[in-house]
Amino acid sequence: MESGSQRVLMYLTEIEEAAEDVLTAKQQIVDLDSKRNRNREALNALKTEMADTEKVKVCFGKMFIRFPKSKTKEMIQKDQEQLDREINDLRKGLKAKVNRLNEMQGKPELRGYNLSPLSADEVKAINSLLKR
Amino acid sequence: MATTKVPEVRDITRIERIGAHSHIRGLGLDDALEPRQVSQGMVGQLASRRAAGVILEMIKDGHIAGRAVLIAGQPGTGKTAIAMGIAQSLGPDTPFTALAGSEIFSLEMSKTEALSQAFRKAIGVRIKEETEIIEGEVVEIQIDRPATGTGAKVGKLTLKTTEMETIYDLGNKMIDSLSKEKVQAGDVITIDKATGKITKLGRSFTRARDYDAMGAQTQFVQCPEGELQKRKEVVHTVSLHEIDVINSRTQGFLALFSGDTGEIKSEVREQINAKVCEWREEGKAEIIPGVLFIDEVHMLDMECFSFLNRALESDLSPVLIMATNRGITRIRGTNYQSPHGIPIDLLDRLLIIATSPYTEKETRQILKIRCEEEDVELSEEAHTVLTRIGMETSLRYAIQLISTAGLVCRKRKGTEVQVDDIKRVYSLFLDEARSSQYMKEYQDSFLFNETQTASMDTS
Repeated sequence: MESGSQRVLMYLTEIEEAAEDVLTAKQQIVDLDSKRNRNREALNALKTEMADTEKVKVCFGKMFIRFPKSKTKEMIQKDQEQLDREINDLRKGLKAKVNRLNEMQGKPELRGYNLSPLSADEVKAINSLLKR
Repeated sequence: MATTKVPEVRDITRIERIGAHSHIRGLGLDDALEPRQVSQGMVGQLASRRAAGVILEMIKDGHIAGRAVLIAGQPGTGKTAIAMGIAQSLGPDTPFTALAGSEIFSLEMSKTEALSQAFRKAIGVRIKEETEIIEGEVVEIQIDRPATGTGAKVGKLTLKTTEMETIYDLGNKMIDSLSKEKVQAGDVITIDKATGKITKLGRSFTRARDYDAMGAQTQFVQCPEGELQKRKEVVHTVSLHEIDVINSRTQGFLALFSGDTGEIKSEVREQINAKVCEWREEGKAEIIPGVLFIDEVHMLDMECFSFLNRALESDLSPVLIMATNRGITRIRGTNYQSPHGIPIDLLDRLLIIATSPYTEKETRQILKIRCEEEDVELSEEAHTVLTRIGMETSLRYAIQLISTAGLVCRKRKGTEVQVDDIKRVYSLFLDEARSSQYMKEYQDSFLFNETQTASMDTS
């Protein structure tokens, strides 16, 4: 009896951990996306509102530093690329995690889940079918 | 962007017509594949239902493809019902194509073309589409129009989810499509990143007021969760035939709608097979072998049967289910006799399920189910009388009497069909046996009467 309840506990802990994993990844994507959006706003502001200034004040942690505009732009753009990559990786990992969770809970695997998407051209060609 | 205004779609309640097998919801099996006596509209036929259930499981697992099943039995013993049951239990994701054996004879299309189209309709291809979308609730839209009236407009759009909020700068094009969609603060919208297409999902719940004067179409939705820029994945299932059609559009794209697709060149088919196989190798597509159901299969002729033989061996082949009510008879187009009117070499490849006539109890059950389906109330005695009629004439005739008796009953403003109503329609409409009896008595007064030919040509 004791070993039985032990096993159930183990099993539930494992499921909880897997679920926690999924939730963390989701939250991380949200955080990264909000950062990405802030960066995008900054880039827009640099382009429109700061069009005529040579140097801009950039906030690093707790300090504002005057920095050349072109350098700042470059920096943010690099950051954006990095963020895009990270979000992509997280999304890829998220699938595996959700699948693992489903498997543990004895739920069926989602259909068509592991397919890789059609390319844009192919989607265009087949679109008249899909948008019925 | 096209400027034509799309007419708003009004919701109409779908009127489902009542068909002969519309009461079938599945095969009526429990988890251990044991048939229940009465379930999901199916009654009796336990052995054949269990057999169908085994085949159904194999189809679901994708274990069998390129196999064929024959359902054989007397008229009115539930052959089509079993096929419908299989179709219903397969669910919407597995393609199920049904056709009658005589449907393939057409002037516009050769028999084999019609058959291969039917085969390809029964094979599904699952593909995935992936799009990046921005989804959020509109907090504020601000559009600055130049004072002169002409020139570039600029604007800002603030979107939020439950987690974050951000400001987008708007260009001229986006402003146009936003005003075309009549987007205002409080709407929940999605923007397709690749095309810039805006879709309104509804209004946010937080903006719902009961005194707002708004149309009935306004839908309230929750403010979206999570990140603003999401990745949306949509899985579609299309049939091979549909892909064939868009790729062989010699008559323009209208062909898809008019249904008159004509013949599809075999080169087109080969190309598509190659493309689909390529997709499968790349992990872009999954092939779902579905089910092709051919009713009245004895109507096919020798050429069709040899085509079927060949087609079943192809690697893209669905599960073929056929039904027939013939015994040993001539194969159409030949003088050879064969069981079920099917050549021996094809019969050899088939799994055969037999159906047997219904017992009185089962007939009673079926009539009860049909009464519920057709919304006719039957008194206990009328039910007994109808069951007797069903046993003595045929089940189909008894089922016909249900709705007619229902009408008679409604005409005399009754609520429940009584024995008298049944008697009345029984005297009004002849069953097959009485009709032939009548013919025999009065055959001399009919036109073009040939007394010599006693039996009907059944081929």
